[in-house]
This record gives sequence, structure tokens and C-alpha cells, in this order.
Amino acid sequence: MNTPQPARTRAQTHAPKARPDARPMRLALSAGGLAAMSALAAAIVLPPRPATQASGAVRQPAASADPLANPTAAQVQHPIQYVQLSPGQTAPPGATVIAASAPTPITLTVTVPAPAAQTPVVIKTTASGKVIP
Amino acid sequence: MIFAPSADRHTSTRVRSRRPSDELTLIEPVSLAATSMGGRLVVHVEAQGRAEEARRDCRRVIARIDRWAARLTRYTDSSDLVVLNSDPGSAVPVRPILAAAFRAGIAAADASEGFADITLLDARLAAEGKPDVAAASRRGEWEIVRGPRGAAVVRRPPGLRFDFGGVGKGWIADRALDLLAAWPGALIDADGDLAVRCAPGKFWEVGIDDPRAPESSIAVLRLGTPYGGVPTRWGVATSGTSIHRWNVGGAASHHLIDPRTGRPAVTDVVQATVVAGSALRAESLAKAAIIAGSVDGFALLERARVRGAVLVTSNGEVRALPVTMSLLGN
Repeated sequence: MNTPQPARTRAQTHAPKARPDARPMRLALSAGGLAAMSALAAAIVLPPRPATQASGAVRQPAASADPLANPTAAQVQHPIQYVQLSPGQTAPPGATVIAASAPTPITLTVTVPAPAAQTPVVIKTTASGKVIP
Repeated sequence: MIFAPSADRHTSTRVRSRRPSDELTLIEPVSLAATSMGGRLVVHVEAQGRAEEARRDCRRVIARIDRWAARLTRYTDSSDLVVLNSDPGSAVPVRPILAAAFRAGIAAADASEGFADITLLDARLAAEGKPDVAAASRRGEWEIVRGPRGAAVVRRPPGLRFDFGGVGKGWIADRALDLLAAWPGALIDADGDLAVRCAPGKFWEVGIDDPRAPESSIAVLRLGTPYGGVPTRWGVATSGTSIHRWNVGGAASHHLIDPRTGRPAVTDVVQATVVAGSALRAESLAKAAIIAGSVDGFALLERARVRGAVLVTSNGEVRALPVTMSLLGN
């Protein structure tokens, strides 16, 4: 049964304004947050990209062009600047030896006297004096 | 090369194939040289790893030798010897160093049967043609009377003058060697006259100067002490007419005065090297061998029981007493 609705009066226009529906925005924010979290997670978990391709210092042997074919040959050779010698080891020829206790790198020049031939001490008995002119 | 005189007893001894010094060790000394007594003075010490201490002792010995020599020289007006020679008196007190040197002069004369004579200054100056010496006639007996604390009084004919010469060098070398008694081995080289001490198991090498070829040796002596022995003292001296010589009136002359004539010796020996128990004795006998000549000189050296002797004669021969062979290192 339909009863006639009373006509709306102006008084109704002063009623508190209805609040907008928050659900669409919440859905949108949730979806954006999920997308951001997913992007961050993907960035953290992914393996590092081979930066060697961009470095001029990397040298790969020509024979190991395919690292998958020869995994052991995939070596990166870094220029060796300093080597700490163990007791008993000797520096390679041409290397500069730096004392471990030296505060700053210095070049130590050690002069080892050659085993000079023993100068024989010549002791002679002679007639003394000088020729008188 | 050593040649023994032919057809006499000096050729009878054979050279031993094994010398006592074969297993001994050559001494490598710490040495210090200086100019002293008108020549080269070198002090050698067997340092045994204490080189700095040895050098310090060498310097002390050289300083002491200089003080002794300053009192005995005839080339400085202030020396004790010149003061004595200038004194007109017949009895002159002398201080201990000069008194000890006079006693050494007596010992030298005794060892050399009178050939080493410290009273020949005027004879020598006359031989050199010095205008202030009229003649070599002021010789005579002299004596030394002991006084307190090493001093003495020299009694002599008025005007008699003295000159120690090589006798003084030998005496100083022996005395200086005593100062190094703390060291196992030492050698004093007083311008060619050597006082030597050698520890057991060690030896010194001493070259004999060749008067015909400067800078070369006619022989090398090995003066050593066997293992287990007591330290041995040696004296080595060389005297000769080839170095200390001059011309007077166009004739060659030299400084070795024959006390029998008061003039330079007429001899067939150019150089004599003697090895004995002390430098004083070796020096006296080397001088005697030259003055006496090779024949009488060898006889004198045998009577004196020297440990070795090498003579160079005017005809170029080099002769050695047989006992010398045990000392030769080459």
C-alpha cells in the first residue's frame, strides 16, 4: 500500500549535509599501497644486475666469452696494489716494500754492504830512514 | 826466493815439509798508523771483536811512544838527549826514560859484541860531512849509575855525545808492546823494526823488504805460536845501507858506522834482517851483521842464537841462516 509521501519542505534543505562515501577512496589508497609495497619488495629481492659491463677495468679472457659454458673462467682481475707479506715471504722483483709499522707509505732503501774482500794487512820489516840528498 | 850460501854450513839444513804454523790462524788485527820517530809507526792489535777498545789502546800507545821519542830524539833542542849532549860536564843526571834508554844501549852493545854503539854520533856527523864536527875522535868509556826512582847519572868523557838511532826504536817498540799486554796478540811496527807477541794458535805474517825492488818482498815470515804453547815474543828488525845514504866528495856513504874505524862500514851486506826475541836485540844484531860483513856476520848471528836471519849481499844474493827456514811462509 502506497501512502502518499508528504512533500519535502525547505526545512529539509537545512538538514546536515551527508558525508561522502569513503569506500572508493579507501579502495584506491589500499590498491596504491599494495602497488608501492610490491614495487619495493621487487626492488629488494631482485639479484644485482651485472655492473661489470659498465666498468672499463673489467677484463675477461676471450676464451671465456660464455660464462655459462665455462664458469671457472669467469674471473675478474683487479689490479693488485698492496700485498701483505707473511713472515719468510719476499717481495717480487720491482715491488716497493713498505714497512708494516710505517704510518705512511715510504720507500725503504736498505744498503747491504757487499762482502768486501779482506784487505790484507801488510806488515814489513824495512831498513828505516830516508835518503839524504 | 831464498838462496843459502854455497859450500858452507848454511846449506846443510833441509826445509821441513810441515811447518808449525800450518794449522795456525792468521791474525787479522785492528791497526792504527801514525807518524812518529821520523818515520811510520803502526800499532796492530788482535782485537777479538773488541775493535773500538783496541783502537783506543792503540791511540794511547801511540801517544806514549811520542812522549818517549820526544825525550830521546836528537832533532829537538828540548829533548833530554840533546840537553845531555849539550852539557859540558862529565857526570850528568838523567831522568828515568833516558836512563832506561841508556841501559838498553848497554844491552844492545852486549848482544852485538860491540857493533851497536850509541856513542857514534860525532862519527856519523863527520861521515855526513857536517862542518861543525871536526873529527870522530871523542869516543871513550861511559857508564850509567842508578839513582832514585829510575833516574840515573851518566858518567862519560867530557864532550862524548850519544845517539840512540835504531837502538832507541827497538827499545821503544819493546816497551810499547808491554803496554798491550792485555791483548792476546799485538805488534808494534816502529818504521820497520817490529816487536811482536803472538797468542797460541795464531801467527803474524811479516814481509822482508826487497832493497832491489821497492814494494816487493824477498820473503814472508810466519811468526806463530803453536796450540797449547805460551804466547811468544818476537823481534824483527832490518838494517841496510841502501836507504839511509848520501854522497860526500862524490863518494857514496851511509849511516852505519863501524865502531872499529869510526867511519861508514865497508861491507858486502846491503841489507840484514834478523829475527830474535826482542826488537832491541834484532835491531842490534842486524846492524852488527851489516858492519861485520856476510861471513863474520853470519858467524856472529849464529853465536847470538837468533831465530832467523836473511842477508842481501852487494852481488844480489839473498842468504839465510838455516834456522830461518822454519819461519818462511812462501
